[in-house]
Amino acid sequence: MAEKIKLYDATKCTGCRGCQLACKQWNDLPAHQTRNTGSYQNPADLQSNTWLLMRFQEMATDTGGVEWLFRHNACMHCTDSACVRVCPSEALFHTSYGTVALDQSKCIGCKECMVVCPFDVPRFDPKTNKVSKCDMCFARVERDMEPACVKACPTGALQFGDKDKMLAVIRERTAALGGKGYLYGDKFVGGTHMLYILPEKPAKYAELPENPRIPISLVAWKDWLKPLSLLAPGVALAGALLHYLTKGPKDTINKQEGGV
Amino acid sequence: MTNHWNDIQNSDCILIMGSNAASNHPISFKYVTRAQERGAKLISVDPRFTRTSSKADIYAPLRSGTDIAFLGGMIKYILDNQLIQKKYVRHYTNATFLVNPSFKLPGENNGVFSGLVGHKYDKSSWSFQTDAEGIIKKDMTMQDPHCVYRLLKKQYARYTPQMVSKITGTPEDKLLAIYKEYAGTGKTGKAGTIMYAMGWTQHTVGTQNIRTMAMIQLLLGNMGVAGGGVNALRGESNVQGSTDHCLLFHILPGYLKTPKASQPTLEAYNQKYTPKTKEPHSLNWWKNYPKYSASLLRSHYGMNASLEEAYHYLPKLDDGKNYSWLSLFERMYKGGFSGFFAWGQNPACSGASSNEVREALNKLDWMVNVNIFDNETGSFWKAPGVNSEKIKTEVFMLPCAASMEKEGSITNSGRWMQWRYKAVDSPGEAKPDSEIITELFYRLKKLYKKEGGPLAEAITRLTWNYGPLGADGRIRHLDTHMIAKEINGYFLQDTTVKGKKFKKGTLVPSFAYLQDDGSTSSGNWLYCNSYTEKGNMAARRNYKDKSGIGLYSEWSWCWPVNRRIIYNGASVDPDTGIPWDKKDPVIMWNGSKWIGDVPDGVAPPGAGRLPFIMKPHGVGSIFGPGRADGPFPEHYEPLECPVEKNYLSPQMINPVIKRWDKEGTGTPVDARATCDPRFPFVCSTYRVSEHWQTGVMTRWCPWLAEMQPDLFVEISHELAKLKGIKNGEIITVSSIRGKVNAVAMVTHRFKPFNIAGNTVHEVGLPWHYGWITTKMREYVHGDKKPEIFTRGDSANMLTPFIGDANTMIPESKAFMVNIEKKGV
Amino acid sequence: MIPQKGMIKVSTAFERVIHCYLAITCLLLIITGLGMMFHSLNFLAQPFGGLKSMKTAHTYLGVIFIPALFISALLWWKDAGIFDFPSDIEWLKKGGGYLWHVDNVPETGKYNPGQKLFFLTVVIFGLLMIISGFIMWFPEGYNKETVNWMYALHALGLLAILSFVIVHIYLGTIGVPGSAGAILTGYVPKSWCLKQCPKWLRQQEKEDKLEYFEGH
Repeated sequence: MAEKIKLYDATKCTGCRGCQLACKQWNDLPAHQTRNTGSYQNPADLQSNTWLLMRFQEMATDTGGVEWLFRHNACMHCTDSACVRVCPSEALFHTSYGTVALDQSKCIGCKECMVVCPFDVPRFDPKTNKVSKCDMCFARVERDMEPACVKACPTGALQFGDKDKMLAVIRERTAALGGKGYLYGDKFVGGTHMLYILPEKPAKYAELPENPRIPISLVAWKDWLKPLSLLAPGVALAGALLHYLTKGPKDTINKQEGGV
Repeated sequence: MTNHWNDIQNSDCILIMGSNAASNHPISFKYVTRAQERGAKLISVDPRFTRTSSKADIYAPLRSGTDIAFLGGMIKYILDNQLIQKKYVRHYTNATFLVNPSFKLPGENNGVFSGLVGHKYDKSSWSFQTDAEGIIKKDMTMQDPHCVYRLLKKQYARYTPQMVSKITGTPEDKLLAIYKEYAGTGKTGKAGTIMYAMGWTQHTVGTQNIRTMAMIQLLLGNMGVAGGGVNALRGESNVQGSTDHCLLFHILPGYLKTPKASQPTLEAYNQKYTPKTKEPHSLNWWKNYPKYSASLLRSHYGMNASLEEAYHYLPKLDDGKNYSWLSLFERMYKGGFSGFFAWGQNPACSGASSNEVREALNKLDWMVNVNIFDNETGSFWKAPGVNSEKIKTEVFMLPCAASMEKEGSITNSGRWMQWRYKAVDSPGEAKPDSEIITELFYRLKKLYKKEGGPLAEAITRLTWNYGPLGADGRIRHLDTHMIAKEINGYFLQDTTVKGKKFKKGTLVPSFAYLQDDGSTSSGNWLYCNSYTEKGNMAARRNYKDKSGIGLYSEWSWCWPVNRRIIYNGASVDPDTGIPWDKKDPVIMWNGSKWIGDVPDGVAPPGAGRLPFIMKPHGVGSIFGPGRADGPFPEHYEPLECPVEKNYLSPQMINPVIKRWDKEGTGTPVDARATCDPRFPFVCSTYRVSEHWQTGVMTRWCPWLAEMQPDLFVEISHELAKLKGIKNGEIITVSSIRGKVNAVAMVTHRFKPFNIAGNTVHEVGLPWHYGWITTKMREYVHGDKKPEIFTRGDSANMLTPFIGDANTMIPESKAFMVNIEKKGV
Repeated sequence: MIPQKGMIKVSTAFERVIHCYLAITCLLLIITGLGMMFHSLNFLAQPFGGLKSMKTAHTYLGVIFIPALFISALLWWKDAGIFDFPSDIEWLKKGGGYLWHVDNVPETGKYNPGQKLFFLTVVIFGLLMIISGFIMWFPEGYNKETVNWMYALHALGLLAILSFVIVHIYLGTIGVPGSAGAILTGYVPKSWCLKQCPKWLRQQEKEDKLEYFEGH
């Protein structure tokens, strides 16, 4: 199966939130009561019932104007995904498309994926005691359909397809933008399967890590401590066995006294 | 739209003004984005930096209600820099026409055109000079001081960038950048388009806002070409269709005029409304008016009445009386009605000055609320602060089917009539509107038969052939296709037209075959051709595009006669027939006939046929004497404005708008506050992507309510600082007519204006909210109770009760308010 | 394992119960933890009815483990928490005589330094497991980096405790015959005492505190 890429081209996005709604509809996610906090962005953050959030950010420019930045915030679907690495129950897994799907029935609610995700994506629902996140509509993709958000997008800001094809689209688009488009997602965590073309430097965007990476602590525990924690007891066990076989048990029992 | 949605992609420069298309017509941006990808420039002009502005190449702010000044400046720029498309202007517009020498412009007549008497124009000086045969005198060199072109130049010479900037608050450099970019579409082969919506119409000068742009489009040769046109983005999916089928009081289906009491006979009526011209090359399509009026009468009464009788049955307007929305509610407010059908509408929230509208509703004896949900109108008697015991109005709720619960067509902004199938049955007792009306008809007919009454035959003789009849004479099953066929029209007898023989009872192939002798029927001549013997054209779903410019001529059907771009006769050179734009040709002469779109009235190249066939003289009207408030647009301030004078002239406001106070009504609907220190801030109302209209359909949808849960008011950081308001806090917005509480959204997207050296603040708020939430509904056992509720009431509590001089659309885009922290 | 007449009592019933409590919770925590830590060991969740319930079991076992750890720490602190200088160091240098031939292994008290090290490991890493475990259970409100390091520390704790536990079990059973009686019945042969805790034996004898099994 070819790797798939979802491209979010913010230079074409009008922030209409059709994608946010389509995500809720397709995934049957309930709404929660919100309040307007002085922004179009609502809910304020990703939630267990909001896997996709359009972020709105406005900035005054040096020339007295204003910039209104929109960002399609959902799972980035890393190639080297911290969440898949830590998931104890294999609930999080890489699909054959390279995306990261979540089998909620397997989730044990340990929340580890929430803390390792460099993009702060998974969310915990105390009611179900499980984590949830965007799975790039795995069920749709398996049936040859694009994800619901892509389907809903009116402007073509969201596109979906085979990796090769999408990389060509990106090359063409960034060339057309002539230095006014910043590609985000290809240079870290093995490359993400959602890629952004942004009209501004990633650093300007709120809640968007400039250099997302797998936490060093995760490397420490998964790559070093995890094998070690098998190795060390193994050595101990082998040592004990060896000791028993070579040196034998300690002579602590006087035969006359009996005992074991 | 003269063009259509897909066609926006063919544009070289898109001006979005009086519209926030990205928010309110999100799908349009599919085509805007496509055009941008092909190199088109997008310009956004709006008091507030919007989602649309965020995608624009150039954004400029302007103070609400100053669009004519802005565009007048553009006309001056185009003329001063000689950027018009000369051949187009000379041959396809009335720029060469000579105007009556006694005509005076506002610049030389105290800010008004010649002929103002009281609050109405005597238009006798707005006429053209004619020769002995009655043909209009023209100066093809456009040098004559009385020719339209020279008058135009004189009129807009006053609209200098400095003057425009002083009025609009738009920085001069932005003005010039936009003028330059847009005027570039005057080059042959370049097309510029305008996308506008309620930001232009809802003003006391609304019609003239659009006129100004239409004139610019004519000057630049942008009418009739692909990627051009004047494109109204309609505010509802079917508002085009409902207008085509006589939503408004002054028109009958197909834009035929509503008869007046002074037109006693069909002949007098036809005589009045059939335009005449002596111009030899003008097709003057409206000369067919009697065919269309006769066919309409036949569709109503068939052979049950003679044409004369049928005309007699039509309701007549009293001469000089206005029956628009505002007039009706003013009358209701004064107790002038006993009953009211609120059908698919929510005036308690959508009506300007909603407090008065709500007040007016309790002057009624009865009201029937036909809607898919309860709303603020149907439940006005239990609104907060209303003492239900004192309300005498009896309210009936008739639940009706939603769009997906019935079959039928809608007509989109691009005039495409698209057939929709029924997806699900309507819940409970809800019925499609057509069935409700049919039931109403049966009962009325029975009553009229039994009790008689004035013009009882107007009801009892109506044809009602919308389905197979049962033994009781009633329709057993209402068939929407029968309605669509009636709209298209039938031959009522065996007849021969244009050499073709037609059998009685067959469908008329197109309006060119309609007759004035009563031998044909057509419920709407514009839709004649939509449902023919070939089938239901609106249901066509062929997505092949043979044109190469996205006409999709076999997808659904488009009025008139499936012509996708109207006035397309103007897209070609008058002498050679070669398209101005060879890259995106709309029509082309292949040596023997026109190919491409359905050609608009054109004859073979060089024949001299004039392309604007719906205009009596065959050309586009740069000089437009048909309007009530002037043949050229002139800047007037909104009724409520922040400036003490009109910097252009001594005339402050549109002189011919209907002023209730001037007629001595003395009701609160007259309340206005201009340059009133109590209401120092300009205010505009608008919509958001997440809600629709008064929110009756969207506020109750949890996903949408979650995204936009509260009425909010957008204010600049500067104003927030001035008033000590924090982002996210609830504040009170008040006008002289009412007040609402709203969440303050402090934003960089609103900036104070510099108006003639003074700082003027503008605020804005969406109007989708209302006091009813699903919390108040009565639930029966087992109902799933909703959990998401919106907060806030309609922004129309604030809007003024004043309308445009031509259309009476309320001025809800520019009025004055105050904002205060809540509780202050 | 039935005690025989003349055997010496080395632990009280309370001590044995607490040891048992600590041992069982600790082993279950290790098993459930490993079951989550390695996908190949996910099968360990089967007796619990699946991973999710095993995860729940692990967290609550952790809670149950807390009193065991604290009581154990208090109970054995005096005997196992304090090193004797310099003899204990000497003992450690000689590997307690377990690993190579040593002529004179320094005499030890009730617990030898190896046991003391194990005790301290359990106490210190046990505490670490509790703290890191709680932060992992309720990560909200903590800096993510902190939480992430808790996972590493939790793994480190497992490594330390499990390694020692294996040695502990070996030496408590077949490695040092007779030891098991100490935590099962409370009685060990005197000869065992002479080898394992001569100092303590002498001390007890001197103070006349020794209790012998009197028979049934």
